[in-house]
Amino acid sequence: MSLFWIVIRELAEIEAMAASKKVITREEWEKKLNDVRIRKEDMNKLVMNFLVTEGYVEAAEKFRKESGTDPDIDLATITDRMAVKKAVQAGNVEDAIEKVNDLNPEILDTNPQLFFHLQQQRLIELIRNGKVEEALEFAQEELAPRGEENQSFLEELEKTVALLAFEDVSNCPIGELLDVSQRLKTASEVNAAILTSQSHEKDPKLPSLLKMLLWAQNQLGEKAVYPRINDLSTATLEDPAV
Amino acid sequence: MEEASLSLSLSTTTNTNTNDLIATYYLQQWRLKSKSSAAKFESMGFPEPQFLTQIDEDEEDDKEELPTELDTLNSSGGFSIVGPDKLSVRYPSVNLHGHDVGVVQANRPAPSKRLVYYFEMYVENAGAKGQVAIGFTTPGFRLRRQPGWESNSYGYHGDNGLLYRGQGKGETFGPVYSTGDTVGGGINYASQELFFTKNGAVVGAVFKDVKGPLFPTVAVHSQHEVVNVNFGKKPFVFDLKAYEAQERAKQNSTIEKLSIPQNASYGIVRSYLQHYGYEDTLKTFDFESRSTLPPISFVQENGFTEDMNTYSLNQRKVLRQLIRSGQIGDAIGKLKEWFPQIVQDGASAICFLLHCQNFIELVRVGKLEEAVLYGRTEFEKFYKLGDYADLVKDCAALLAYELPQKSSVGYLLGDSQREIIADAVNAMVLSTNPSVKDSRECLHSRLDRLLRQLSACFLEKRSLNGDQGEGFHLHRILNSGRKG
Repeated sequence: MSLFWIVIRELAEIEAMAASKKVITREEWEKKLNDVRIRKEDMNKLVMNFLVTEGYVEAAEKFRKESGTDPDIDLATITDRMAVKKAVQAGNVEDAIEKVNDLNPEILDTNPQLFFHLQQQRLIELIRNGKVEEALEFAQEELAPRGEENQSFLEELEKTVALLAFEDVSNCPIGELLDVSQRLKTASEVNAAILTSQSHEKDPKLPSLLKMLLWAQNQLGEKAVYPRINDLSTATLEDPAV
Repeated sequence: MEEASLSLSLSTTTNTNTNDLIATYYLQQWRLKSKSSAAKFESMGFPEPQFLTQIDEDEEDDKEELPTELDTLNSSGGFSIVGPDKLSVRYPSVNLHGHDVGVVQANRPAPSKRLVYYFEMYVENAGAKGQVAIGFTTPGFRLRRQPGWESNSYGYHGDNGLLYRGQGKGETFGPVYSTGDTVGGGINYASQELFFTKNGAVVGAVFKDVKGPLFPTVAVHSQHEVVNVNFGKKPFVFDLKAYEAQERAKQNSTIEKLSIPQNASYGIVRSYLQHYGYEDTLKTFDFESRSTLPPISFVQENGFTEDMNTYSLNQRKVLRQLIRSGQIGDAIGKLKEWFPQIVQDGASAICFLLHCQNFIELVRVGKLEEAVLYGRTEFEKFYKLGDYADLVKDCAALLAYELPQKSSVGYLLGDSQREIIADAVNAMVLSTNPSVKDSRECLHSRLDRLLRQLSACFLEKRSLNGDQGEGFHLHRILNSGRKG
């Protein structure tokens, strides 16, 4: 063992002792890692869960064939869901609403906020395309009644209609409503509502597990000094910094 | 350890040692499966095949003994009479003073390798003075004093609703309880608290100072008092599952607030598909990702890493396909054609794995005679190596049963056995890449390493915490959230 590493090791121990933390060497830690049993089938399930929840239908189908993993939901429903999402992302809100109702009419019935946001998006698209009269009519007939029922809806409605007041919409303070990110937000909301209606969790499990890793490492770090994975993209162990 | 690292560094020219390292790892995986299958078979008799997968799940639950009944070995010397079912206690006489309490502990201390432990007590008869109590005490507790009256013990008393925890005086805590009430005592290892319930509702909690084992304890102290205990054989009045779910949700909301690099998951999934050779999925995944919104701003891995991961991707895909469909002979043929160095040594561990699988495939389709002949030619060379005798025995045992899939070696006929061989071959091919410095890199995908680190951290944290709290249970996490 080179002198350099001996010194590093001693410094780590001194630091650990000062904080009364247990020191776990690379060797000891690797042995603990080796003792962990992670089943291939479970990892496959995690990957399938990611593909399915994020909507990679074709990839999920191929993965089913290549790995023999069962997707936990019917892949056909993913196609329908992704069609809705894409419609919203492209600004075809009417089309999206029709598709959602075809899929499950209860979704919009039981989700007034989602329905309002979809209608709001429709209004935004009309304004974007310069159809001022149609926009106003739509706002008054479809959205105003909703606004009366709910204070926050009313505020949103007023904000959206205010877009009409600006000459140069791209530079006005509420211009963000016209940004594609607004479409993405609405699309995400619809996606989540569909997943929930299908009794499926709306988020894939993998990101939560990554966060859990960070959390667990920090928790252990309060009591011990040990090799950590600091870069999720390489997943390599790094010896404790001194 | 020194020797192993020396031989690894010399092996750039001859690959035999590193080859064996990889194949040996998978042999060990096989061995673990064999042992656990045999063990569970013994304990469960002859379970139907579908239970064999359940068996793996149970393995994850840390084995701890649970309290099941009241202890009758240590007694309060006549001040408590435990019923024949060992789940009820009554006070036999008239109490005279504070040292004739009838206290009974459970037969075992509360298990600690979990989130929460809980038990309940039903007051059948509060007797003359309703001086019943529920709580936790340490081993060696003086069983003539109410739980809580001595240090290192806790007791929620029915006559005054106070909580005693070794201070002499009780503290205001919860409501009084009497005949017909069900009270419960629990330990929450996450928050390090003891909590008590009455008729299904939590009445209060206190910090748990005692770090060692704690026995669930009940006590009676006046004439005609009778209490019944429930250690879980019957459903609880308190919704324990909901409480546990609540605790987990609290923890999860803290965790969710952490941030991870955008597209971290995307990168890990992609790397996983590359590592194990799922070529078709990878191509489709890449294609579908191009049309997603928001656009994936994925930092392409540097050329070197990308090369490592896509090395022989197509060949690895083909090999996996062949093995997964049981065409071992064809797989060996392809290996001889593409990577002869892997199967050069006929007595190597990887050849052993392949030949065993071939044998298993013959048995699967009922070609028993052919299997026997095959076994006789191939297994002989491995017996000489000695190490693999137990696994050879497992394979040979398949011949002994009319319905081998229902036997203790039935696991060999499952998909997961083929998976082990497929993964072993995959790792071996990855290791033939001249840029690979340490063949151990080929064993685990990034996802695998991350999950191992996660599990190891949980286990170490628990161990440093006096072995209290949950471990990391991937299986449970995968199956949670099923609302249907």
